[in-house]
Amino acid sequence: MSPPVLQAKALAKSYRLGKNEIPVLRGIDLSLAAGETVALLGASGAGKSTLLHLLGLLDAPTAGEVHYDGERVDQRPVGQRATLRHRQVGFVFQFYHLIPELTALQNVLLAHMMATSVWSWWGRRKRCRAEAQALLEQVGLGERLHHRPNELSGGERQRVAIARALLAQPKAVLADEPTGNLDSNTARDVVDLMFSIQRQRGLAFLLVTHDEKLAQRCHRVVRMQDGVVVS
Amino acid sequence: MYRLFLALRYLLSRPINLLGMAGITISVWALIVVVAVFTGFLDVVERHVHAANADIVVVDLPSWSDSRRLMKALRDDPQVAGTAPRLLHYGLLLRPGHRPPPAPLPGRSALHGGDQPFLFVQGIDPRAEATVTGFAAWFTDPEIPAELRANDQPLLPRGGLPTVLVSLHRMQKDGLAPGDKVVLTTARLEADTKGNRTPRKVQIELVVAGAFKTAHSGFDGNTVFVAQETLQRELFPDQPDVAQEIAVRVHDQAQLDETAARLQRIVLRTVERDFEGWGQVLTWRQKNGPFLESVQHQRALMQIVLIVIMVVAAFLMLATLSMMVNEKVADIGILCALGGTPLGVTQVFLACGLVITACGVALGTAGGIVTGVYLEEVRQCVRWLTGIDLFPIDVYNLDRVPCSIDPLWLLQVAGMAFATGLVVSSLPALRAARHDPLVSLRAG
Repeated sequence: MSPPVLQAKALAKSYRLGKNEIPVLRGIDLSLAAGETVALLGASGAGKSTLLHLLGLLDAPTAGEVHYDGERVDQRPVGQRATLRHRQVGFVFQFYHLIPELTALQNVLLAHMMATSVWSWWGRRKRCRAEAQALLEQVGLGERLHHRPNELSGGERQRVAIARALLAQPKAVLADEPTGNLDSNTARDVVDLMFSIQRQRGLAFLLVTHDEKLAQRCHRVVRMQDGVVVS
Repeated sequence: MYRLFLALRYLLSRPINLLGMAGITISVWALIVVVAVFTGFLDVVERHVHAANADIVVVDLPSWSDSRRLMKALRDDPQVAGTAPRLLHYGLLLRPGHRPPPAPLPGRSALHGGDQPFLFVQGIDPRAEATVTGFAAWFTDPEIPAELRANDQPLLPRGGLPTVLVSLHRMQKDGLAPGDKVVLTTARLEADTKGNRTPRKVQIELVVAGAFKTAHSGFDGNTVFVAQETLQRELFPDQPDVAQEIAVRVHDQAQLDETAARLQRIVLRTVERDFEGWGQVLTWRQKNGPFLESVQHQRALMQIVLIVIMVVAAFLMLATLSMMVNEKVADIGILCALGGTPLGVTQVFLACGLVITACGVALGTAGGIVTGVYLEEVRQCVRWLTGIDLFPIDVYNLDRVPCSIDPLWLLQVAGMAFATGLVVSSLPALRAARHDPLVSLRAG
């Protein structure tokens, strides 16, 4: 049996506020297998986003371990963690986080550029461009390749963010309230798209949400409260 | 790849970055052009000064020294091509009955002279002088109008009176013509019965022989030539072979300093040893050292002023890059989420600064070289458009604005600009790298 794509073991995180230590996560155990979708449900301040950031190696845990494909990765050097983050996970955020100076195509291509030197880029740029274009067409933005974020609707921006998260062919996608900033119709379309791609690619999918209905579409629902998993 | 790609995108999407680039461009351009003009000017001034001076002069000769013996000893040196004795004095040169004009502003005569009636009077032997300087060509210069020209032997007496060669500029300014009578008023020291030396007024009536012109207008404006025997007769009546200065021409300019050192030893051997301090040997460069150094100092001061402008431009770049980092806080989080590292984030903003610097240096250097090459055309164009003469070449006896671009200086300016750009780019770039990606993501 293959190890989980992502795994948290007794993960804890606390922040220091003056002399006080504020615990945010208290010993979380969570694993995410390939092709599995997991919803993280909980009120604001429950620690959902913090857990997502720790799993994505954007932050370091106070205690506990993060494993990718069975290997502990949270103690690795900054450069290695960045490389792993690039290869292993794709992020989708509530506020899209696209770079406003770049077109939709360039925002997606940026994911390829992150791991490519200037010299090797010139040899691969046509292939990378074709891949990014195909991905944008798959998310329904074939006609909007050269539009900047401020020329796109909220749903379109989130589609660009999804395409960007998928371009490097990660094993897992970590989505932090991806529909939190969209109207219900657009949110439904975006979620349909994400699940469709997840199924096609067999991705591990961790979805942070407040939306109970959306959570029920996942294989598993993990509820959090005050930094611990309650069910 | 993302570092350069994003850096270029950030730069192209923010026209305010052009300010920093413009600052670097202007400072590099100004450093190249102004220093090229000063260097060219210094080259020309050195040429002009050398043209009006003998290669080497032996100065401060005591009145009891045997100038003929000394000149013979100097000529025995294989590098010496010729020697000429000189008497040097000061005096007022005026038309008979005229009163001297008010004193000119101090310092006016250093470059162009000619404003004051108080002159260096050089008593020379024309034949000997022609062997050590361009004297023979000075009174046949094509710029001297025919009506102001002297004859072939300009310092021969005319109508029983000694003659004087006056600079072309002074003759034109004072309305003098060959044949006009002038009076040289000076003084000599005479010892009384108690041995006290007191000045006694001497007036020498002279006839203007004609005009002379060297390339060094400062020399021309302050100098007149008379025959050596004229000064000797009036000022040193008891010393027929007296010379206060001996001018020397050498064969090889490249060995000027070595030759001067050798001649100094010859002079010390020849002039009485008991009177040390007499008979100093100076090259033309040493003799005019203070003047040439003043131009060099001006160039150094301009360099300092322009480097300060570069520092100001660097601060402008620092301000625009810092603003950009503040605006791009959210992007820092995105880059980290996509697999970027703090070093990568640093390099994005560092690349922004270095691209600005590189463009500024390239534009400034190209502009500086083109302006330097076509400086005279630029001057004429500005004069035609505005009536303002940026560089009055007539004052400095030039036919065009001098300009000498030194490749080493180009490299130094480019290196200085790059070093400055690197420093001011590093500060905001390092600050960007210190941003917590999570805080940055929340800021977005």
